[in-house]
Amino acid sequence: MFNEINKSIDAAISSGAQYADARILISKSRDISSKDGELEDFSNSENMGLGIRALVGSSWGFYATYDLSDESLKEAGKKAYLIAKASSKVPGKDFPLADVPIVKDEYVTPHKQNPFKVSTTDQIDLIVSSTHEMKKIGSSRAFGRLNFWDTEKWFASSQGHEIYQNIIESGGGISSLSIGDGETQIRSYPQSFGEYRTGGWEVIQSFKFLDHVERISEESKRLLTSPQCPEGTRDLILEGSQLALQIHESVGHAIELDRILGWEAAYAGTSHLELSKLNEHKYGSPLMNIVADATLPGALATFKYDDEGTPAQRVDIVKEGIWKGVLTGRDSAAIAGVSPGGMVRADGYGRLPMVRMTNVGLLPGDSSLDEIISSTDDGVYMETNRSWSIDDLRLNFQFGCEVGWLVKNGKITDMVKNPTYTGITPNFWGSMDMLAGEDEWIFWGTPNCGKGQPSQIGHTGHPASPARFKNVRIGVRG
Amino acid sequence: MKIWDNLIEDIGKLIPEDVECEIKMINSTESLTRFANSHIHQNVEEELTDIFLTFHADGKTTNLNLNITSMGSIEDIIKKALSEIGNNPKDSTWPGLTSKENSFNGYKDISPDDPDIRAQKVKEFIEQGQTYNGAGYCSSNVSNVFVWNTNGLNSSDTATSAFLDGIFRSETSAGSSHIGNKILSDIDAQKVGQEAFSITKESQNPEDIDPGVYEVILGPDAVSTILVFLSVYGFNAKSKVDGTSPIEINVEQFDEKINLEDDPHKKGALNFKIDASGAPKKKIEIITNGIPKTFFHTRRTANELNQSNTFHEMFGWGDSFGGLGTNLYLKPGDISKEEMISNVKKGIYINEFWYCRVLDPITQVVTGLNRNGSYLIENGKVTKPVGRLRFTQSFMSSLGQGNVLGVGSDSRFADSEFGEGILNVPMLHLKEFNFTGGVSG
Repeated sequence: MFNEINKSIDAAISSGAQYADARILISKSRDISSKDGELEDFSNSENMGLGIRALVGSSWGFYATYDLSDESLKEAGKKAYLIAKASSKVPGKDFPLADVPIVKDEYVTPHKQNPFKVSTTDQIDLIVSSTHEMKKIGSSRAFGRLNFWDTEKWFASSQGHEIYQNIIESGGGISSLSIGDGETQIRSYPQSFGEYRTGGWEVIQSFKFLDHVERISEESKRLLTSPQCPEGTRDLILEGSQLALQIHESVGHAIELDRILGWEAAYAGTSHLELSKLNEHKYGSPLMNIVADATLPGALATFKYDDEGTPAQRVDIVKEGIWKGVLTGRDSAAIAGVSPGGMVRADGYGRLPMVRMTNVGLLPGDSSLDEIISSTDDGVYMETNRSWSIDDLRLNFQFGCEVGWLVKNGKITDMVKNPTYTGITPNFWGSMDMLAGEDEWIFWGTPNCGKGQPSQIGHTGHPASPARFKNVRIGVRG
Repeated sequence: MKIWDNLIEDIGKLIPEDVECEIKMINSTESLTRFANSHIHQNVEEELTDIFLTFHADGKTTNLNLNITSMGSIEDIIKKALSEIGNNPKDSTWPGLTSKENSFNGYKDISPDDPDIRAQKVKEFIEQGQTYNGAGYCSSNVSNVFVWNTNGLNSSDTATSAFLDGIFRSETSAGSSHIGNKILSDIDAQKVGQEAFSITKESQNPEDIDPGVYEVILGPDAVSTILVFLSVYGFNAKSKVDGTSPIEINVEQFDEKINLEDDPHKKGALNFKIDASGAPKKKIEIITNGIPKTFFHTRRTANELNQSNTFHEMFGWGDSFGGLGTNLYLKPGDISKEEMISNVKKGIYINEFWYCRVLDPITQVVTGLNRNGSYLIENGKVTKPVGRLRFTQSFMSSLGQGNVLGVGSDSRFADSEFGEGILNVPMLHLKEFNFTGGVSG
């Protein structure tokens, strides 16, 4: 396959590109969805193609094609060059690419059972029986979903990289929807939109959906008759998956160097962070230690090399509350004068690789959820995300959760519905005063991170354990 | 198209007589030139040919999605699909295939645009910004879709679109503008650039105002966001089947000034004239004088709700999504932007919404923010630019009876949280809109 890729790369370089790299991908995916004990959708997908990018001056030109004939591969290289060259009508400053090791290597995601070799009957039975049970118990609607990806990619560059990787990802989830008088309430497991990791069928087996159908069905029904989450300023305790999304939105996107440099300004936005304040800016409390770690076994954004051929690595992002690092690519790292962190990936062969979160997670503390609750006099414990919104500087956010629990004098008392909280990023993280430990630290995965134009969907990981935040505005309603 | 003709000829010979089969193909070239910090930094083109096969046999259904390169032998694909189908449970809502009489031939052989033309449009936009920092994109797309089935249906259509979307940024402000057209060369980049420049200039040094309920004037992109949320979470019949839609047909749910139609045959419409079942689309009234008239149906949702199909199945989306109108027009009124502003005692002009998310689908309470140009209007005049505000507001109520005070006289294709080119809308003047937070949270 590398011979094929190099035909494209050679064509781009001989046309005049200063650098070129390309990937051939064979991507398989399987989507299984169920509603109310019926199979709603069963789809297998497979596609194959090449994407090549060529650097001319200050601009990338990218061309992708499904046609892998010799003639087409060479034409793709030339087109990538011509597209980049067209950009010279509106040029920026030329930039070098940051140096990375030139590697020839192979990697396969560690897994026990390739999900595409497991009986589809077993997969369908598991998710259909889960929704059947919830419907039987009394959910107005019961939803379930399984997704699997098996991606083979061959990456080569004009500098001599030749890397083969086979990334296997699995995930899914179940939800119970209860419909009341002019309202709906939902409970999901393991988290909203499901939980996703690298690995095989064993990932799904570990979720034990059927052990949770009764709880989430009963909770969604009970929410209909529960009181509204009270408005006010009080302590907020976040369950791990909600904290994972909080990290994703208010830290993960904010530390993307392409955003900080303004490359995403018109669409996804920029960042409240200024590079001149790296190593000085107070991001949060001393309990806040965030790392971007693409080497965590089993986490969703774990690989050996990114889509520029840079080795996966662990990078400090926030240390004891102080901002220490950014997410980079070879181009942005060179411009900003920082090390390339192996954080560039593309959504399939047809998209330009761009800066993407790896496993951006909050390192565990030394407390526990039980300790946090028992030491809280007046607060709300919120579980499982229901809505999320944040401004384009990643400062002003508002999240809604599926369920809230009032905490009074160290004990959980009442269930409350429609819990929301709002805040400003550094103030919020600065108020974190308790953090659960390694026993409750889970590698939460987000399979639906949108970024870029044309739009790309990224898979990111966010290890987190429950935490407490002081004096948060809670219970905002329309 | 040769690829398509060969594909259906080969498959047609190999499908067993007792198997129903539907084949869809999307063949497109999507090109996008992206700029930031006032220069082009990313420039991409993707040529794709994706095939979507559905097989139904013995009451069971399976779907297989491939691109032309990964297909290999057609015989093997059919064998694989038919061997897997036995593992599936019965498909109790199988809606059947579209009949041969619905065949539609709209295919046109159109070449993609040269990247130099997009670069020129970007240059013309950036030049309008003078010293401001410009960012955005210029895109052009040619998309062909094809549908064949064992009933003998063979349909095709071609759509072209081009967009220029950009912002300028000063030290303290940003302003955006957007345009869409079928043809790239017809995009007036200077006009779009001038509008973004004016908004940026007028939005400098914004002041914070207290949250609360305000009168608002919404620019086309903000209006488009409200309507696309109502479309996806309300008028999409799948949401009605699932019990999460607030829409009631033939009930006065919206202000009488709201008239929304889906018209793929309107001059300049940007999306396909057939849906993914292969049937031709018709002009359909969605909201008439504030009264919802129909949902966006697929074959399955029409069967499940026992209503007429409106042919809104989406290419590339599965049955779990449902249907969506993609050539939506909100009927303009007769009020100019200046008149609309002069009618406001105290309110806010919002150019664009950002990051809107539904808190509860059945009430359509949504939270989000403003960006790229917002002003305070007092006693009929714009008095000062305002900073970031967070709203938490029911989108149903925002267009509810008595809340729409005016509809703008000019309309254009607008961007939305679900993409561009779906909605063509004017500005709206709304009586009440609930802002729940300011820059400090």
